[in-house]
Amino acid sequence: MEELELATTDAPPHWDRAVVTLPVLGFLSLIGGQLPSYSTRANVYTICVGGAMLWLGLTGKVRRPLPGRLGPGTTWWLLPIGIFGVFEGSTFLLGSTPDFPTFSRLADPLLEDELLRTAGYFVWLSSFWALVRR
Amino acid sequence: MSLTRAIAIAGFLVAIVACAVVEVLARRRDSTIPTLGEVCAHAIAYEVGRVPVGRIGFFGFWWWLGWHLFAR
Repeated sequence: MEELELATTDAPPHWDRAVVTLPVLGFLSLIGGQLPSYSTRANVYTICVGGAMLWLGLTGKVRRPLPGRLGPGTTWWLLPIGIFGVFEGSTFLLGSTPDFPTFSRLADPLLEDELLRTAGYFVWLSSFWALVRR
Repeated sequence: MSLTRAIAIAGFLVAIVACAVVEVLARRRDSTIPTLGEVCAHAIAYEVGRVPVGRIGFFGFWWWLGWHLFAR
């Protein structure tokens, strides 16, 4: 069983290459970027695409081996995460109003533009793919 | 634009820039700082017993984030 798991992590599928996955993610983003917020199509599409990613991630079909131990500098990551958390948390608790906007409230008007929406969709999907391969 | 709104925007920008700076520092030769991908890999690998809590948490959150930004 352990050998089988090692073989699975050591040998990614033949289609798991940037030349294959990037065009696919780009095509999926083009479709997602055309679907307006609050529409049934956008809900169904995002749930299906995200669900497929979730399934790939949980089955471990494209998982890579875990990198070595984390170094002592890991705590540096608490700085950007902490700053973001303080502003997101406080604006959320203050009601996410125009005067106290959360990150997503600031992003909403930008994502109304189809080009930016498609680019944002691509960033979301490609980072989801990067997480799934971890 | 109100002062509080400007402060909020500045705060998010500072967080994004700080993230980019730490990532650049992590990619230097002999750096003791891991890259964001390496940190995520270890967090994702977290399990409680046989339950892949890290995978479920990370993928579930990222799924919800996409729905929150692009569908709702």
